[in-house]
Amino acid sequence: MVAKFFHDSYKKRDSPELYIDAALGQLTLDENAPQATGGDQDINLTVAVHGGKGTVRQGVVRHLVVRFELPDGLHIYGPPVPDGMIATTVTIEGPEGFMVMAPELPATEKLTLPGIAELNVWHGTVDLIYPFYATGELASECRPLDVLSIDIKVLVRYQACTDQECLLPRTETLTLSLDLDVIDIPAIDLHKGHGQREANYDGTAALKRLLARKIKQNPLGVPVFLAKTLWLQMGALLRKLSR
Amino acid sequence: MVVERDHHGFDAPAPLGHPGRAGLPEGHSTGPEIGQRLPEFTLPSADGNPVDYHADRAGRKSVVVFYRSAVW
Repeated sequence: MVAKFFHDSYKKRDSPELYIDAALGQLTLDENAPQATGGDQDINLTVAVHGGKGTVRQGVVRHLVVRFELPDGLHIYGPPVPDGMIATTVTIEGPEGFMVMAPELPATEKLTLPGIAELNVWHGTVDLIYPFYATGELASECRPLDVLSIDIKVLVRYQACTDQECLLPRTETLTLSLDLDVIDIPAIDLHKGHGQREANYDGTAALKRLLARKIKQNPLGVPVFLAKTLWLQMGALLRKLSR
Repeated sequence: MVVERDHHGFDAPAPLGHPGRAGLPEGHSTGPEIGQRLPEFTLPSADGNPVDYHADRAGRKSVVVFYRSAVW
């Protein structure tokens, strides 16, 4: 096994593209997903969303990729850095419910210069990855969407240097507009009124097959399950009424 | 049905505590780790034909996904 993804909630899951990247050992950005570019004539800076064409939906993890393309001889710094030097930092601002997870940063290389403590540097093409997802506050699957798209601000601060000299530190703010995904819910009584959009497929037949299989496997299981569900539902209703 | 938000911030069309919303118990194994070989197993394909995981992939890379409900 070369990679493993596991989340603390069944609601959280990775975009399929992230599995493919892990299997292939490379990151291929989708040119049709939202991207913004910065940098200058020497350094290319791209901020892109990877996975699901850059859309946002509850619990589904996409990647926000901050990609530096540095020419030969230039490097940027990873933390920690000595006083007076600038480590690369990325700050992501989004609306309530836009959750950014711990970044996945490539390993730095050690650079030792005379008179300066050991430095951690990146050079060449550097991908700083910030996984993100939405909670129910932003994109619940149980109510229509409040908005159809959101703006994400990405503040990137960095300083590029050669082994002899440094360029001025730069701070760039790039903005991405991300569409929220609409989730279809099967048109069965159980889900009616709770989806973002009631789908045009009837899930009743599938639900009947599921129930028949469950009853066959464990005849007592279904009544116990229904009784427990009813009990929990009453509790939820009481909590709602008491708010 | 009442919609409730869990402590992760997720909404679902089932009340809190519903078995369908349960997560893995604290400390439960999450299976083989990186670097380990997956165990030998054979499962039916969508057509009902048995698939021997290691034999049928014949050394090619693969992605194994376990999920509840196919919402992506």
